[in-house]
Amino acid sequence: MKKIINMSLMMALMTILILSFNACGKDDDKDMTPPVISTEGITANPVNCQQYHPGDVIPFHYVMSDDQELGAYNIEIHNNFDHHSHSTEADDHDHDHDMGECDDDDEHEHEHEHSEGKAWAYNQDFTIPAGQRLYDAHHDIQIPADATPGDYHFMIRLTDRAGWQQLHAVAIKIVE
Amino acid sequence: MMTTSILAAALMACLASGHGEVAPDDTTVVLKGVTVSGQRQHDFQMRTSQSAVQVSHDYLQQHFSGSLMQTLEGIPGVKAMAIGSGQSKPTIRGLGFNRMVVSEDGIKHEGQQWGNDHGLEIDQFAVDRAEVIKGPAALLYGSDAIGGVLSLYTNHVPTEPLSGSVQIFGRSNNEQIGVTAKLGGRHGKWFYRVGATLIDYADYRVPTDSIQYYSYWIRLKDQRLRNTAGCERDGSVMLGYAGYRFHTDLRISDSYSKSGFFANAHGLEVRLSDIDYDHSRRDIDLPYQWVNHLKVLSHTSWQGDRLRAEANLAWQNNHREELSEPVSHGYMPKPDETLERRFVKNTLTANLALHLALGERHELSTGVNGEYQHNRRGGWGFIIPDFETTSIGAYAMDCYTVNQRLKLNAGIRLDHAHTHISSYHDWFLTPTTDGTSVYKERSADVNRNFTSLTWSAGINYAVGHWVLKANAGKSFRVPIPKELGADGVNYHIFRYERGNANLDPEESYQIDMGIHWDNDVVCLQVDPYVNYFPNYIYLNPTAEYVEGLQLYNYTQARVLRYGVEAQATWVIDRHWEAELKGEYLYAEQLSGQKKGYTLPFSTPWSVDASVKYSFQWHGNTFVGLNARIVGAQREIVPPEKPTDGHWTLNLSAGKQIDLRKSKLNIALHADNLLDRRYYDHTSYYRLIDVPEPGRNVSLMVGLEF
Repeated sequence: MKKIINMSLMMALMTILILSFNACGKDDDKDMTPPVISTEGITANPVNCQQYHPGDVIPFHYVMSDDQELGAYNIEIHNNFDHHSHSTEADDHDHDHDMGECDDDDEHEHEHEHSEGKAWAYNQDFTIPAGQRLYDAHHDIQIPADATPGDYHFMIRLTDRAGWQQLHAVAIKIVE
Repeated sequence: MMTTSILAAALMACLASGHGEVAPDDTTVVLKGVTVSGQRQHDFQMRTSQSAVQVSHDYLQQHFSGSLMQTLEGIPGVKAMAIGSGQSKPTIRGLGFNRMVVSEDGIKHEGQQWGNDHGLEIDQFAVDRAEVIKGPAALLYGSDAIGGVLSLYTNHVPTEPLSGSVQIFGRSNNEQIGVTAKLGGRHGKWFYRVGATLIDYADYRVPTDSIQYYSYWIRLKDQRLRNTAGCERDGSVMLGYAGYRFHTDLRISDSYSKSGFFANAHGLEVRLSDIDYDHSRRDIDLPYQWVNHLKVLSHTSWQGDRLRAEANLAWQNNHREELSEPVSHGYMPKPDETLERRFVKNTLTANLALHLALGERHELSTGVNGEYQHNRRGGWGFIIPDFETTSIGAYAMDCYTVNQRLKLNAGIRLDHAHTHISSYHDWFLTPTTDGTSVYKERSADVNRNFTSLTWSAGINYAVGHWVLKANAGKSFRVPIPKELGADGVNYHIFRYERGNANLDPEESYQIDMGIHWDNDVVCLQVDPYVNYFPNYIYLNPTAEYVEGLQLYNYTQARVLRYGVEAQATWVIDRHWEAELKGEYLYAEQLSGQKKGYTLPFSTPWSVDASVKYSFQWHGNTFVGLNARIVGAQREIVPPEKPTDGHWTLNLSAGKQIDLRKSKLNIALHADNLLDRRYYDHTSYYRLIDVPEPGRNVSLMVGLEF
């Protein structure tokens, strides 16, 4: 019996030893949080389900922030004629319908011929001046006059200096 | 529970059992029992000053848990890193890919080890026994053996005129079925072996209805990861001559596998494909990969009174293709064909070794290793350039037995490698700022020479019930062409990767200790280590964007790692046995842009508590229950997410039935009995929030004759 107690003690001791290793993590000032893309205090553009016309300008406006230092961002627009879905918009966690799509989306649109014009694609990298924690990003993005009408995804990608990345996806529509 | 019969040996001994040695008959026999006696452990611990673990054939049979790597996961410090599509890669103490070596019969396995979405390319059912060396093993293996070596042996010499086995096995989670058969015989001094394995599996199941990938939300049908089904076909033939002094054998093996990639998380854009993936869970649609590994291996040895000479020669042909539905990206138009990537790698290896007994006390080993690699790419997706690498290394080591209780060893090795990388230009035009357009260069023509001097020294000391070991060693790794020459979009993980042609060979220094204590009832083993890299090659996520994707570039940083593995086994009485084991690992980058951060995929601490009931003393019929507790991992580096801790309950049982001239083996293994949903921080699918598989039952029935 004594032996059993000894053994149990030894095993318990080993467990404590292993667990205690885990406890010696130390705090330092490394950046552990991704940057934030927000609409706080501004009228952000574009937002989900907005409609634009070929030849219009999208007055892009979002606020970017990070607890330490911002890095760079990228704006990319691609067509969503096949209705794939992104998930970072606020209402996305409603699992009942296809995420990232608007109520008036034509579910059969991908069967349409997109023969007139060109499916619009836009992809641009932007830098943020060094040392910024808060950045007000403003751009006018010209929609080509020959852009094919339909559903588009508007993607914003943002990094901070440490290399964390944040994504924000918005579904927009180009109508005739 | 897996470890009861694994001989866990973390002592320092002479490394001599490594490279190039054919399965010494004695070790194959030694580890037969389910419970290994203290004396045997003691002896094994005195064999090497490194932390080493041996896994016997019987152990592999009786503790079969679905795949070889999953079975080996029972060894503290060894992990099967899930890399998607139900496949896994080994890691030793958190280091995998090109930072560890997998060898088959003493020859380093050469495929596309850097790749993170394909498995071992070895017929795991052909493996007779395995040995794991934890820690630097550059002395015998040269480049890459930083984290350690997983040595697989498939060359056991049959002793009977005719013997063989047939096994059928299955797994519930991905509805896998498989069959493997082996046949061998010895006639006088000649022997032969043949083997074949067929495996087929369906899409695997995870306990969730939807997952998030990149910024996409994906719903799963019946909780299955779409298109992760696959199949494997392996075969091998071996012929040999085993004389009193002279031994030679030739083994030809081929391993083919085809498996689908998770259809919703592959390639640049998640598209709604016209393919009806949910039509069948057993079919393999685009995107998928196939790989064929052909290996011709020759081993020859001559045993004199004091001298043993060995020659290992091998040719390996690794052909791998990834196929997917073509999509356009950026300035790349939609390609015409589905061949996204092709890699064809040919490797020639020659290892020569001499072992010389000098008097009673010294055993000197010297050897030369040469290797030539030739790699060609194809397909519309670029990730690594064409390259050729020639390397040669020579080593000498001495094992000095001071007395029965004290052994010392020391060795030194010099390596030289030359790598030539061919330039690569896009097959499509990219407009430039001046209005023209160019075929952009993605990889420059590079010639690099690398020289490394490595060494190792160790001591084993046995006193009373104790065996104490210590080993210090330096190991290295020649930078791979992806690290030197990549410059483009990694189509798998949504990032832009840029190599660095000026990288130095990665070097690593490590001190290992082994403390072993046993008597007839209890066996304790503690293996702490400290590991320092002056120039760890690290793929650093930057703040920059290139061509719309976040730029990751290869840099070198100082890295400190330390950790410990501990294991206690207690034979309570004739029937009961209890075991507790655990591991802990810490890693920190000491310089560079990620100073203060850990390394990617840092292994969290874990503890395994098991009890096992054997129906007879030293019998082969048992039932065991295991609780596995894994800690949370909050030490992360971009783009990782912290992972919560979890625990699972697992069951295993084995039975051996002796028939008249044969044996029937049954092994049952049930993982995650409670069907808990959890994430594995070290899984590649962690990044896309795919939880680990739910309850999974594996069964194997084998007949040996």
